[in-house]
Amino acid sequence: MKKKNSIMGMAFFGPALVLLTIFLFLPMLLTFGFSFTDYFALNPELTHFVGLENYIDIFKDELFVQSFLNTVKFVIIIVPLQCGGALLLALAINKAAHCKKYFKVAFFVPVVMSLAVVSTLWMQIYSPEGILNTLLANFGIDAQPFIHSADQALPSIAIMSVWQGVGYQMIIFLGGLQNINPALYEAAEMDHASAWQKFKDITLPELKPLCIFVFITVTIGAFRMLVQPMVMTGGGPDHSTYTIVYDIYETGTVNWEMGLASTMAIVFTVFVVILTIIQNVLTKDKEGRKHVNKKAKAN
Amino acid sequence: MLTKKQKRINWILVAVLLVLSVFFLFPVLWMLANSFKADAAITADMNSIAAFIPPAPSGNFFENYVSIITDTNFLRYMANTLLYAAILIVLSIVVNGLAGYALAKINFPFRDQWLMIIIMLLIVPTETVITIHFLIIAKAGLLNTIVGYILPLIVNPFNIYLFRQVFVSLPDDVYEAAQLDFCGPVKYFFTMVLPMSKTVVATVSVFTFLNVWNDYLWPSLVFTSSDLLTAQIGLNSITSNENTTMGQTLAVITLVTIPVIIIYSLFSKQIVEGVTSTGSKEG
Repeated sequence: MKKKNSIMGMAFFGPALVLLTIFLFLPMLLTFGFSFTDYFALNPELTHFVGLENYIDIFKDELFVQSFLNTVKFVIIIVPLQCGGALLLALAINKAAHCKKYFKVAFFVPVVMSLAVVSTLWMQIYSPEGILNTLLANFGIDAQPFIHSADQALPSIAIMSVWQGVGYQMIIFLGGLQNINPALYEAAEMDHASAWQKFKDITLPELKPLCIFVFITVTIGAFRMLVQPMVMTGGGPDHSTYTIVYDIYETGTVNWEMGLASTMAIVFTVFVVILTIIQNVLTKDKEGRKHVNKKAKAN
Repeated sequence: MLTKKQKRINWILVAVLLVLSVFFLFPVLWMLANSFKADAAITADMNSIAAFIPPAPSGNFFENYVSIITDTNFLRYMANTLLYAAILIVLSIVVNGLAGYALAKINFPFRDQWLMIIIMLLIVPTETVITIHFLIIAKAGLLNTIVGYILPLIVNPFNIYLFRQVFVSLPDDVYEAAQLDFCGPVKYFFTMVLPMSKTVVATVSVFTFLNVWNDYLWPSLVFTSSDLLTAQIGLNSITSNENTTMGQTLAVITLVTIPVIIIYSLFSKQIVEGVTSTGSKEG
């Protein structure tokens, strides 16, 4: 029986294991290995082990430092707007007694559109003679260059990304709000608690694990920023919207400098892993397990 | 029952949300309305409420849409993407489903360790390995092939985990009965386990479709030949062409979004459940 189990186990798990090995374990090992070499994919024979040199070089490389800082700027603009916006929308929609369904759909519409579609659309919206400048002119605001200036391109793309993504987190928060036990609010009403007290003492603590989850996933999402600048600005003007992932992509697949690209990828991954660990520690994975188990039972 | 004061607050809230939703949706409304106009009309309407109203239906109402469909490779791109999505849905269900089943029900050596590894792999972002995927596919001579595009996308730790979580709660006695019935384990998996787990199969299918449909970076790396492009990459090659008008650009991005809207409206329950329970879009 034991032998039969191991044969069957491998027959079932085997296909996935082969693909996992080729497309996850091997690439992870190669990325790690290459990060200590000057591997140039067009001339692999000339590869040397360079130790930690790449790790020092990328932080001396002005372009990488700029792409890193740009990515941080994206995170700083996107995270509070998207998390806060999603929470406010969810609270308001949850409270509204009418048109609930319409609101849910309306704010979710941009989520349905792909990044390439949204980016293409907003290139038109942000164009110098575009609809946004026309609308602003009605409020007496001068025409803005938006994505065509090094000062405004990054915030313009960031705000567009919030617009595209906020509905997704709104749905997550709405799900969380509906999961709060109504008895808690009834008990609070018996004690004549004010609306603010109810929010502070029931809603927020009950939503805390979800808030952490949303905060971290939005942070990681913003950290991975690539398609929007790729489609809209090509990383410009003056590399003002060039991001870490953009740099990894160009260094690795355009310039074929796999050694350097791997080093950047490792630095990027370390940040993502740290964020994920922080999330797991803060929520102790309670929320995730509860949801997954519930889902498993529902099937 | 709502008190008078609560009623008033509710109406203010609803009014604010209504106004907000209109402002929020203005780019989409503008896109839809102007996808039916010639560029001269788009510019002329810009500074009035007409910018958000489609033109009166006439003989050339769908002109932008017709020219996109007849003058460009657009339908080809759509068909390509549908084909890739169909292949990937089948392969992901089989490969990840079998693996999830092994991790849930078959007591093979190091099973718990494998499960731990799968859970740890959930953290690794695709960007970490995408340049190496490109290197592997290029070295294997598979650039510009469907196989090269599909191979790295089949296995997905997230889907394995999802399947495992569902299969683990399936009753064991059905499996034992099937053993007595001389029903082979693989046959049992396809004829009993998968049909019993329609919800997770639907969830994985929907998310696989959305990932394939919306993905940008990987297809843009693998495909350079115009015959193989996916809708997103094809859309970019159409709109970056100088001869494409603004109206045509808006028409093409509307067309690319239609299949996704259909999927969302058909499977909104699964999607909302997937969003609220796991919160993971990328997979």
